[in-house]
Amino acid sequence: MGSKTNNKLVIVILVTLLPIIAFIHLSSGTISIGFSDFYSALTNFDAQSTNQLIIKEFRFPRLIMGIIAGGGLSVAGLLMQTLFNNPLAGPNILGINSGASLFVAFSLMSGVPFFSSDFGTIISALLGAFAFGLLILAFSMVVKSNVSLLLIGIMLGSFTGAFVSILQAVSNPEDLKMFIMWAMGSLQQVEFSQLPIIFIFFLIGLLSCLFVVKSLNTLVLGENQALMLGIQVKYIRIFLIAITAILTGLITAFCGPIAFVGLAVPNIVKLLFKTQSHRTLLIGSLLVGSIFLLICDIFVQLAESTIHIPINAITSIIGAPFVIIIVLKRLV
Amino acid sequence: MIVLDKIEIGHASALFTIDNLQLEQGEMYALIGANGSGKTTFLQSITGVYSPLKGQIVIDGTSISKFNRIDKAKMISFVGSTFDGVEYLKVKDYLALGRTPHTNILGRLNATDFKVINDTITLLHLESLQEKYTKELSDGERQLAAIARAIIQETKIIILDEPTAFLDYANRQKVMELMKKISTELNKCVIVSSHDLELCLESEIDLLVVQKIERKLRLCKANALTKTELISIGF
Repeated sequence: MGSKTNNKLVIVILVTLLPIIAFIHLSSGTISIGFSDFYSALTNFDAQSTNQLIIKEFRFPRLIMGIIAGGGLSVAGLLMQTLFNNPLAGPNILGINSGASLFVAFSLMSGVPFFSSDFGTIISALLGAFAFGLLILAFSMVVKSNVSLLLIGIMLGSFTGAFVSILQAVSNPEDLKMFIMWAMGSLQQVEFSQLPIIFIFFLIGLLSCLFVVKSLNTLVLGENQALMLGIQVKYIRIFLIAITAILTGLITAFCGPIAFVGLAVPNIVKLLFKTQSHRTLLIGSLLVGSIFLLICDIFVQLAESTIHIPINAITSIIGAPFVIIIVLKRLV
Repeated sequence: MIVLDKIEIGHASALFTIDNLQLEQGEMYALIGANGSGKTTFLQSITGVYSPLKGQIVIDGTSISKFNRIDKAKMISFVGSTFDGVEYLKVKDYLALGRTPHTNILGRLNATDFKVINDTITLLHLESLQEKYTKELSDGERQLAAIARAIIQETKIIILDEPTAFLDYANRQKVMELMKKISTELNKCVIVSSHDLELCLESEIDLLVVQKIERKLRLCKANALTKTELISIGF
């Protein structure tokens, strides 16, 4: 009943909501800043003005990172859920995050300058995410049950967690501090000068999704039917893992591990749009994911004057009950 | 259309052989045989999932192993014994997926695609189901939707693996009658595997019987054999 127009309306609402939330995000924080400072910080930057400096060096990069991380993780989650035909899949629960974390831990604590540079960290995170993505894909060929696959993902997480602890025990205090800061998970560590490289990787990840929309739509019928409809399932699987690795790896490299966004948001989007058209679901995940993570970060900002809460804590507080709700809904 | 010449079917071990058979467009064939006689393996050999142990299955002069994925998807469509439906997938969106091998990389539907979809909806009287979600349909309606999706794929060959296994009597008959009509009116080669001997006899279609003793596939024209004779050679 006119659901196509309804869905367009929902998208319009989300598109309007995003800048509003973005503005609230920009203006929350310990120091209150007026609108004119925002405007001039972006158009006519004056390095002498403290307010403008705060905006350019802290708030603006944090906002952009929030949008990219929220949108990117949600898109990655959607890809994984369709690939594994499992509403509880997501980069975090499948251990793709853990792969990125492990490789970042290695590179940050290796003491080699290249590896602890921005570029080195991104590359390590991408490689880690891709390696663990392929690993979980290999497991998925053997294990047919969805629950078993999720358990394997969680075990990969514990396994890498153990390695990371050992690495922490043997690394020197400087490197350790850098790693602990990263592992807390935050949108705040990004600098203005890093935004272009982050944006380029993000764009590569998103644009690649265009080429898999058709395959994703077919994959909801199961791999066999997708094969009979002429989809190159074997290559598509690896391509989907690669896109997920780019998005997850990039975000994990700069923000640390962020849980549950990739799992919860695609499910919210499906409830909201009630469709399996992946063009709509991808756009929806991008928008809802950005808004969701910005809202979580606004909570972090509000508490900031007294305590520092990792963003991961907020996403988990909202995300974990959500997963329980999905599981309960399945049982009914 | 489909030429089967000196072929041995099987994947782990040999199941049965085919001396020389030719399956034509505009005809419907029911594949019958005992459990484990290799019916599903035979269908999978035609769809190219497994290669025959010996010989080549040739479709329109080309061996099935030489087809690329897209060409194969334009030649053969497949309907399984159940389609469980997918959450939030509407019938019309499900039907549109039948166009997958015909659309470009972005999957956009053009005027021809919409015409094929709408013609099929009219042919199968699915107008009232279009806007429903596939999860909301009854078993019979879902199987009908799956058949419509196969027709929309516009292939010369339609393969159905026990499409009536989970349906009640009225729906079983309806599916067989519909497939027979489709084979003649749309000039398709339809192959249906079935456990239901009576249903196949009633439908008056050609039978492909996996002979129990000889382990050979035999083509029996419609009405050529009685039920008792069929049981003695196939079961």
